[in-house]
This record gives sequence, structure tokens and C-alpha cells, in this order.
Amino acid sequence: MLRVEDICVKLGDFRLDRISLHVEHGKYLVLLGPTGNGKTVLLETIAGLNPPASGRILINGKDVTHLEPERRHLGVVYQDYALFPHLSVFDNIGFGLHLKGATKQQIRKDVEEMAGFLEIAHLLKRRPNRLSGGERQRVALARALVLKPYVLLLDEPLSALDRSSRDRVQEELKRIHAELSLTIVHITHNLKEAFSLADRLAVMKDGRLLQDGPPETLFTTPRDRNVAELMGIENLIAATASESTLVTALGKIAMEPLEYGTQPSGRVLLSVPSWCVELFPKGPAPDYLWQGRMKITVSRRLGGVVALTLEHDNGQCLKTSLSLREAETAGAPLDTGTLVPVGIRVQGVNWVPDQEPG
Amino acid sequence: MKNFKIIISCLGGILLLAIMIPLVKMIISADPAVLRSTLADQEIRTSILLSLRCALWATAGCLLLGIPLAYALARWNFPAKSIVQGIIDLPVMIPHTAAGIALLMVYGRVFFLGRLFDKLGISFMGTEAGISLAMAFVSLPFLINAARDGFAAVNPRLERVARTLGASPWQAFFKISLPLAWRSILSGAIMMWARGIAEFGAVIILAYHPMTAPVLIWERFENYGLKYASPVAVLLILICLVIFTTLRWLAAKNREL
Repeated sequence: MLRVEDICVKLGDFRLDRISLHVEHGKYLVLLGPTGNGKTVLLETIAGLNPPASGRILINGKDVTHLEPERRHLGVVYQDYALFPHLSVFDNIGFGLHLKGATKQQIRKDVEEMAGFLEIAHLLKRRPNRLSGGERQRVALARALVLKPYVLLLDEPLSALDRSSRDRVQEELKRIHAELSLTIVHITHNLKEAFSLADRLAVMKDGRLLQDGPPETLFTTPRDRNVAELMGIENLIAATASESTLVTALGKIAMEPLEYGTQPSGRVLLSVPSWCVELFPKGPAPDYLWQGRMKITVSRRLGGVVALTLEHDNGQCLKTSLSLREAETAGAPLDTGTLVPVGIRVQGVNWVPDQEPG
Repeated sequence: MKNFKIIISCLGGILLLAIMIPLVKMIISADPAVLRSTLADQEIRTSILLSLRCALWATAGCLLLGIPLAYALARWNFPAKSIVQGIIDLPVMIPHTAAGIALLMVYGRVFFLGRLFDKLGISFMGTEAGISLAMAFVSLPFLINAARDGFAAVNPRLERVARTLGASPWQAFFKISLPLAWRSILSGAIMMWARGIAEFGAVIILAYHPMTAPVLIWERFENYGLKYASPVAVLLILICLVIFTTLRWLAAKNREL
């Protein structure tokens, strides 16, 4: 469906460096990365709005690298929606149909059908400045979808919405994707949004694609420190691989339980999601990579969760969190300065090379 | 805070009064009977209409050529952009009589461009074309700068989205950018027209005759004194006030829609 091959783009001092991606028909790809790292540039390059310095873009097997944006048949929805302020909602949605030479009757029929699908039929006569954020989002989606694009490109579509609207539009995107069997490329810096929507996840930083694949794969087996950090893995423990053990600040950890492709060598990082760090471990010993005692240095209640930072005698810190109920039944008060038994569960822990990717 | 507001208001008020007092004094000093007879004077009516008409041609011509330049300045980055911007502002800075002499040297019969236009049947010496040219030269920065600011205020993403919805660059310009920048362009055009009507220095070098209203005011002042010049000046001010207030009101009304 959409294939990006070795695309390089240079815009002033910024450059996209040899990006390759493939999205199959009907799949939902989320491009995840920090703001200002080239995601929008890539999206606009796919849409034909930035000329690539090299590489190819193929849609349905056809090379569109040098095709004008108006002939690519792609839909774009920007973070700020970019609704035409001088046109009514009806005329915004019908803009593309009008350009394609559709009759007035056809435009009316298609616009009303799409407005009904997105539940905005009552807004058709309004101007964009009289719409809420969520309504603008739907109008922008309707304007792109009414043209039945091959691929829908979404640039941070939820970031300008408040939390309740964001959840609602997120569900709406899932519905649209499922009901229309649409191919979607969605860029975001929000990890939860990415995990909630993606069939496939691609992680970008500094104009480079670091890793792509199913979200679970990126989370459980990040390729390097950058991906691990972008996947929101809270604890990265520096280690040196020595024969069958990993030497860390917490002591020696057996390598055997870690099942991750090749054997680690040299300097590595153990990626330990917070849910792998367990207080008062009760399971059988083989379930844990490491057990010991750590001091609570930070204990913070965040709504229904207690976030803890733990510190070992050797200076190694770990972060974890418990629900309020778990904290209440922990068996000891979780106050700052308290020494507590801690276990790192095997399941969920992996190692990644401790170096910047070349 | 209160003192701050009072001082700011007083300083602004002094400037407003400095503008208003001479104009109001001139208008209230005018004898209505003299004004009526001035209005009946064919020469005066002709000169006022000539000023309005030539300023309109100048504005229309600059709209055609100035809008693309304003768009380019707002949207594109190119080498020497600041120099281009400086060139556009130049007519405001140089003495207008000097501008008139410069125009005379290029569009008069001593330079090839003037001779070329002459062969095409267009002469700028003592003609409406010359008056319009002089008005355009000195007042075009008002239009181009306002239009450039208008285009710059249009979110470039609107054009980008339009392109992905099937619009060619021309369609994106005419259906999105131009309608959204139109208020600023209209405002700039009104300013340019007003400045054109008032132009004296450049016009008198290229075309003493036919006489525009400012040239006629000067001519009457020189030959007959203040008593004969002031009714023409009052009439021109009143006509301009009515026209520009109406145009500004229409532009503001359009903004509310």
C-alpha cells in the first residue's frame, strides 16, 4: 500500500536521514517520537508537500515521489485542523469534491453522508470559529475522508484536545479505521495514544527511524537506549556481560533467564519496566532476576497511584508504582527512608546494547 | 496603573489634536455659500474627479502587479529578500519631487523606455497616464506592505491542506490565500488610493496640466492667496473623508460577516 524507501529530506539545517517504512492496506501505523524530530516533515514528504533529496515513495505500487500533492490521493489532518475559516463546515467538507468537478447534488449527497458518519450533520452551516476542538477535529477528518483517500495522514491529531475529547476522538479513530478499512499513518509524541491505536509502531528521533514493528515487540525488545526511553521504560540498568552473568550495580545477575535473540556482550542495559519491580516479593525465587533490599527515596501519591523511587546501597535507583490498594496492603508503610525488600521479575526484562545507534 | 493610563492617554491625545485641529479649523472656517459656489466651479469639479480617477487607475494597476509580489514576500525565502523589501519602501523615503524627476528621466522622451511607450501611443508627459504613474510610484508601498502582512497572517497549512484536497497552486491561491488576505489587501488599496489622491510633488513634475486637485489648490494659493485656495482644500478633504469613511465602514462590515 504505502512504501517509503530510503527517503532523505533536507530542510534548512534539518534533515531526514534514509527513512524506510512499509504500511500494508488497512493497517494503522503510528510514528512515535519527541516533538521537533522530523515526524511532520516525513508526513508532508509522503503527502508531496516537501521534495525529497533522494529515495522513493510508492502508493499501491506506483512511484509517486515526484507527483504533485493534488494527484497523490492522500488525506492530511493537521494538529491545528487547518479548517478554511472563510468557508462553512459544508463547504470545507465539500472543498475537494468541488475541485474534482463533482455536481452540486453529488457534493451534497457525499458531504451529508460523511457528516452523518461522523455525527456532525447539525454543524454543516456553521463557520469553523464556532466549533469546539472535538468538532473541528471531526470536520477535518470528514474533509479528508469524503475524498476516499488511499492513505489518511494524521499529524498529532489529538494533541490540541482536552482529555475527555481526546479519549472520544481516539475511539472515533478506531471506529473509522475499522469501518472504512482505512490505511492510516498517525504521528504522535504520546506513548499511550500510540499503544492504543497502532497496529505497527515506528520510532523516530533526530530525523532517523530507530525501530519499527508491532508495539509489543518495540516495548519488550527495544533496539537501543533511545527506543527504550521512548517506549517509556523507566529503569535502564547499566551492565557488563561477563560469560553467563551480567555485572550490575545491584550485583551479578544470571543471563540465562533472558531470552532475547543473541547473547549479550560488552556493555549493555537491562530494560526494566516499572511493573517488573516488585515490593515484598512473594513468588518463587526463579521468577526473579534479582532480589534485595532498597531504600524508598521518593514516595509520591499521584491520584490513585503511589509512585516510588528506590535506591540500593550501591547507588542504583529503580522506579516503580503501586495502586493505592496495593500500597495499603503492602505490609509496611511506604514512607521515604523506609528499607523494603524488592524483587525484579524475569518476565518483561530484556537487555539492549548500551551505545548510540550508528 | 491609573497614572500609566492617564499619561499614555494624554500623550496620544496631544498627537491626535495636532492632526485634528488644523483640519477642523479649516472646515469650520469655510463659508457654506463659498463652498457651494466652489462646488459649482467646473474647473474644481474636473480636478477633483481627475484626482479620484487617476488614483483609482494607479491602485488598480498596483493591485495586479503588487499582489503577486506581496505573496512572494510573505511566503517565500529567497536571496536578497530584505533588499527587495527595502526597494519597495524606497518611494516613501525619498522626496516626492525627486521621485517625479526620476520618473521624468525614465518615462520622458530622452530615455528609451519613454520613447518606447511613446511609439505605443502612451505618453506620460501632461497626461492622465503620467499622473497615475506618479501616484502609483509614491503610494504603492502602502498596498504592498498591507497585502504582504495579510498573506503572512494566513496559516500556510491551509494552502498545504488545499493541495492535498486536490487544489493546484493557483487554485490554492485563489480559493484560500487571496480570500483570506483580502481584507488586508482592501485596506492597503484604500490607503494607496488616499495617498494617490493627495500626491502633489511627483505629479506636478510629470503633469502640471491637466490639474489634479492638489495642484489646483497650490496654483490658486500661489496666484490668488489663501482665500481662494482654502475652499478647494476643504472640499477635497470633505469628499475624501466621506469616501474613506464609507470604504472603511464597508471593510469593517465585511469583517464581521
